[in-house]
Amino acid sequence: MAASPIEARVDVPIVSVRPAPPGAWTSLGRFVRRKPLGAAGGVIMLLMVLTAILAPWLQTYDPIATNAAYTLGRPNADHWLGTDHLGRDIYSRIVHGAWVSLVVGLGSTLLGSALGGVIGLLSGYVGGKTDLTVQRVLDILQGLPLLVLALVMSASLGPSIRNVIVAISIPIIPRAARVIRASVLSIREMQYVEAARALGVRHLRVAFRHILPNTVGPFIVLCTAQLGSAILVEATLSFLGMGVPEPYPSWGRMLSVSAAEYAQKAPHLVLFPGIAISLAVFGSNLLGDALRDTLDPRLRGSR
Amino acid sequence: MSRTRAILSWFAVILCVAVVSTPALSQTPKSGGTLNMTQREDLPQGFAIHETQTSSTVWPSMPCFNNLVIYDPTKKQESMDTIVGELAEKWSWQDNYRNLVFFLRKGVKWHDGQPFTSKDVKFTFDMVREAPDATGKLRINPRKDWYANVQSIETPDPYTVVFHLKRPQPSILMMLASGYSPVYAAHVQPATYRTGCVGTGPYKLKEWRKGEFVEYVKNPDYFVKGRPYLDGLKYIVIAERGTRTAALQSGQVDVAFPGETSKTISEQLKKAVPQLVVTPISENVNNNVIMNIKKAPFDNLQARLAVSRAIDRRALVQAVYQGGAVVGAAMAPKPWAFWGLADKDLASLPGYGKPAEEKAAAKRIMAELGYSPDKPLRVEMVTRGLQIYVDMASFVINELKQVGIEATLKQIETAQWHAMAVRGEYQIGANLTGLGADDPDGNFYENYACGSPRNYTHYCNEQVQAMFDQQSQETDAKKRVALVNAIQRKLEEDAARPILNWRIDYFTHWPHVKGLVPQNSVYNYGRMQEVWRDK
Amino acid sequence: MKSYVAQRLGIAVLTLIGMSIVIFLLLRLAPGDIVDILFSTAGYVNESEKAAIMKELGLDRSYVTQYVDWMRQIVTFDLGKSYRYDLPAWDIIRPLLPVTIELAVLSIVVAVVLGVPAGVISAVRQDTTLDYALRVFSLAGLSMPSFWLGMVIILGMVSWLGWIPPLTYVKPTENFGAHVIQFALPALAVGYRSSALIMRITRSSLLEVMREDYIRTAWAKGQNERTVIWRHALKNAILPVVTVIGIEFAFLIGGLVVTETVFNLPGVARFLVQAILWRDYPIVQTLVMFIAIVVILSNLLVDMLYGVLDPRVRYGS
Repeated sequence: MAASPIEARVDVPIVSVRPAPPGAWTSLGRFVRRKPLGAAGGVIMLLMVLTAILAPWLQTYDPIATNAAYTLGRPNADHWLGTDHLGRDIYSRIVHGAWVSLVVGLGSTLLGSALGGVIGLLSGYVGGKTDLTVQRVLDILQGLPLLVLALVMSASLGPSIRNVIVAISIPIIPRAARVIRASVLSIREMQYVEAARALGVRHLRVAFRHILPNTVGPFIVLCTAQLGSAILVEATLSFLGMGVPEPYPSWGRMLSVSAAEYAQKAPHLVLFPGIAISLAVFGSNLLGDALRDTLDPRLRGSR
Repeated sequence: MSRTRAILSWFAVILCVAVVSTPALSQTPKSGGTLNMTQREDLPQGFAIHETQTSSTVWPSMPCFNNLVIYDPTKKQESMDTIVGELAEKWSWQDNYRNLVFFLRKGVKWHDGQPFTSKDVKFTFDMVREAPDATGKLRINPRKDWYANVQSIETPDPYTVVFHLKRPQPSILMMLASGYSPVYAAHVQPATYRTGCVGTGPYKLKEWRKGEFVEYVKNPDYFVKGRPYLDGLKYIVIAERGTRTAALQSGQVDVAFPGETSKTISEQLKKAVPQLVVTPISENVNNNVIMNIKKAPFDNLQARLAVSRAIDRRALVQAVYQGGAVVGAAMAPKPWAFWGLADKDLASLPGYGKPAEEKAAAKRIMAELGYSPDKPLRVEMVTRGLQIYVDMASFVINELKQVGIEATLKQIETAQWHAMAVRGEYQIGANLTGLGADDPDGNFYENYACGSPRNYTHYCNEQVQAMFDQQSQETDAKKRVALVNAIQRKLEEDAARPILNWRIDYFTHWPHVKGLVPQNSVYNYGRMQEVWRDK
Repeated sequence: MKSYVAQRLGIAVLTLIGMSIVIFLLLRLAPGDIVDILFSTAGYVNESEKAAIMKELGLDRSYVTQYVDWMRQIVTFDLGKSYRYDLPAWDIIRPLLPVTIELAVLSIVVAVVLGVPAGVISAVRQDTTLDYALRVFSLAGLSMPSFWLGMVIILGMVSWLGWIPPLTYVKPTENFGAHVIQFALPALAVGYRSSALIMRITRSSLLEVMREDYIRTAWAKGQNERTVIWRHALKNAILPVVTVIGIEFAFLIGGLVVTETVFNLPGVARFLVQAILWRDYPIVQTLVMFIAIVVILSNLLVDMLYGVLDPRVRYGS
C-alpha cells in the first residue's frame, strides 16, 4: 500500500541538524536578519519564559489575595492592569498565569512529543506489521479534533494541572509519531545507518544512537508548532471550566464566567488575559514558522 | 358663583381626577403579547419539579402547574399571611392544627381535558411522602422530609382533601405554597413530566427544543377568568453568562433569570439602559462553611469557632458581592425576610462582632491549639466547581490564612459535590444552601437535624433537635419567633455550619413587563399568572 | 482506484471501531455518571434510589455487555436514548445538525476567501512589508482564542450598538436577513482563525511552485504576472491547500464548540459540551462517532480530490 498522500505531505526535514556550526552567535545573527518575524517570536517566548520563572519577583501583589476595598478597579499606578471582581491584582495574576500556561503548554507538548517520538521512532525503524498496527492505533487518536479529545479526556480525569497536561498531550502523540516516523523512514535507508547495521550494531542502539539524534530538527519544529496550540487548548478548557482549577491563575479561567459579565464596567477583565493568550500563542507560532523554514531544506532555498 | 364658574370648577375637578387617575388607568392590565425569559441552562429534568431541587427546573416549569395554595404573587414578602388559594379555594385547620382540610375548586381541567379532582392531590402528596399505598413513584425524591409529619391524606369527596398530621404543624402550609409543591395529574405517569407537561396552570407547553428554548402558549380554559394576560412565554437557554447579560441589555430577553443578577451587573445594565427595572430581593440562599464534625480537627468546637471568627463577613459581602449581600445567621435577615435575627442579637454571636476583635479571638484559639501563621494548621478545603462557590472559597482561604489555618482548595466536580458532602468525605468546605421557603421547619429539619442527608456537617444536638420540634408545633406566632431566635443563636454558638451571608438578587426586567413581583425566595414566583405586557 | 477506496474504507471502519472503544472507556472512567448529576440537581443522594436508576438506565450491567449493546444499536441505526432527556438520541441531535454544518461550511468559505488571496499576495510580494503585514495578520488570527474573539465581538456590539445577533435559531425561510447576520459573525470569528493555516500553506506551496522550470519558462515567454500566477502557478499550488482544508475541517469543529456557546447557536458542538458535563453517554458517544466519521470521510475525500487534481498521484500499490 502506498503511503497516503496526507502522510507523504507532512513536512519532513531530511537533513540533520549538524553539530553547532562555527560561531553560534553569527548564526543567531543571521537568523535574526533573515527571519525578523521569527526572531520577534523568539523574543516574545523568551519574555514569557522569564516572566513565568520570575513571577514571584515580578508580582506586585499576591495573585490570590482578595481585596474587598478595591474590586473591579480600573488600571492605575497601584494596580497596573486593574483588579478583578474579588479585588485580585490582574497584573500579578497574568504574570503567574504565564507560569501556568507555560507549564501546561510545555509539559503537554514535551510529554506528547516524547511519547509520540518514541512510538514513531520504533514503529518507523521496525517497520512491517508493527508499523502498520501502530499507524492504525494512531489513526484512532487522530480521528478526533484535538479539543474534543481533550474535552473528553479532561472530563474523565477531573480538573488538576497534571490531568490537564495529560489530556492535552494525548492528541499530540499521533502528530509527533507521524513526523518522527517519516523522518526515521528516510534516515533509515541512509548509508551510514546501513553501515552500522552491517557492522552488527544492535537495533535499539542503531535506533537511539544513529537515528534519534537526526530527528532533533523535526522534533524541535514539531514542539514549537504544538506549543502554541497546547496553550490555546489549555485556555479553552479552562474557559469551559474543565481546565486548570483555582487558585492557579490560568488565563483561560480568568476569561470565564465573571469576566464577560463585568465586561462593560471593567473591560480590562476581558482584554488583558485575552491579549496575554494571543501574544503567547502568537510568539510561539512566529518562532515555529521561522524554525520550520530554517530547518526545512525544501523551503530553505525559497527566500 | 356664576353658572359658568360652577361648570368650570366642576370641569377642573374632573380634570384633576382624570390626571390623578391616569397612572392608575395605564396600570390596568392589558391582555396579549408574549415575553422572552432568560433560562440559565437547559431544563435538567424537564418539568419534573418533584424530582429536582433547582431553579433551573422550577422557574421555567411553574407556568404549567398549580399548587393547592401559593404565596400571593402580588406581594414581595412571603409569609403565612400572604398565602392564597390556588387549586384550593379555601382551607381550614381543625383539631388544633392536626387536620388541614382543603376545599378544591370545581370545574378545573388538566391541559389534556381531564377533570381535576381530589384524587390528583392525594396521588401527588402520597407520592412525595412515599406513603405505603402511594400509586405514583418518583425516581428521585428530594423533598420527602417536608411531609414527614403527614400521617395520611383522605379524600372524602372529589372536592375535599384532608391532610392528617402526626403532630400540629402550622407551617406545613408554607411548604405547600412553595413553587416546589405543584399538583401532578394522577392519570399521567410521573416520569412523563421529564419530557412534557400536563398541568392545570395558566400556560400550556407548546414546544421544548432541547438546549434551545421552552415555549408556552396561554391556557384558554384556565380556571381564573381573564388570566393569564400574556399569549405566550418563551424561556431561551443562554449558557454563557456574558451573552446572557448582553441579551438582556439588547432587549432580546425581557426578564433576567432569578438569582443571577449581581449588584454590579444590575448597575452596569442600568447605566447602559436606564429604564430597566431592578428590584433587590433576598434569594433565600446563603453562603456557609461546612466542617465535618466527625473528623479531626473540626470535631473540636474550638477549632470550628476559630474558623467562624476568622471570617470577616462584612468584608466578604464587599469583596465577593460588591455590597450586594447581607450578613445574617441561620434564617434570612430582616428586612429582606421574616425570621432573621436582629442586628443587635447578631453582634454578640461568634464571628459577627468587630472584625479585628474576632480575628484576634480566632488567633488566640488557634494559639491555644498550638498553631500560628508561622506554624499553620493545614487543611484541605473543598468547594463545588462553580464560580460562585470558588469565589467565596478564595475569599475564605485568604481570611483563614491570617489566623494560622492554611487551606488548599480542592474543587469537586459539580456532579460529585452532593455525594461527597453526604458521605462526609471532607474536612472543611465552602457551601451554598438554598431554602424552598422562608420558614424554619424546612431549614432546620433539612440542614441541621440528626440524620438528615443534607446535614453535611453531621451536627447532631439532641437539645437543639427538641427545640426544632417545639417551634414547629408552636401555634402562638410570638412564642415561635422567640424559639427560632434561640435556635439560631445556639447554632452559631455551636459553629454547626457558620453562615457567612445571605445573597441578594438584583432581579432585572424591562419596564414593559408588568405584574412580575419577585419574592424573597427564588423558587416561588414563577407562575406568571398576573404578568402582563405593556406595549 | 476502486480497490484503494475499498481498502481505505476498510481501514476507516477499523479505526472507528477502535475509536468507539476508546470513547466508551474514557466516558466510563470519568468520575461521576449521569445518576450523580441527576441527584446533584436534587441536592442530595440516596443510595437505594441511585441503584434503581442505574438499573433503569442499564448502567449496572458490565462494560462488555454495555459495549456490545451499543454496537448492536449502531449496526441497526438505533442510537440509543438520551439519559438526560429520556428521548431517542437521534431525535435530539437531528435538529442541531444543520446549524453546525452551515456554520462549518460558512467558516471554511470565509477561511478560503481570506486565506488564499492573502497567501498569493504574500508569496508574490515575498519579504516585502505587505508580506510581513499579511503574515502577521493571519498569524494573529491563529493566535487569538476563538471564544475570546467571539466574546469581544458580542460585548463590543452590545456596548456600542446596544444590539446583538439573534440568540435563538432563525430559519432562513423565516427571516433571511436575520439568519445571515446570525451566522456571519460566528463564521467570521471561526473562519478568520482557520484562514491562517490556509494562507500559510498557499504561500509556501506557491513559492515552491514558482521556482519550477515551467513557471520560469512562462516568465521568460513574457506572459504577464497575473496569467503566470493565477493560471499556471496557483493551479499547481492548490493541491496542498485542498489537503489543508480537509485537515482544517477537523480543526474547525474544535473551534465551533466555544463559538456556538458564545453566540448561543443551538448546534451540535455546544450540545456536546453539555452532554459531556452531564455524562449523557448515548449523546456523547453518538456525537463523537459522528465527528470521527466526518473527519475520516473528509480526509478520504481530500485524498480522492488529490488524485483528480494531480494525475501524478497514483493509488494502490
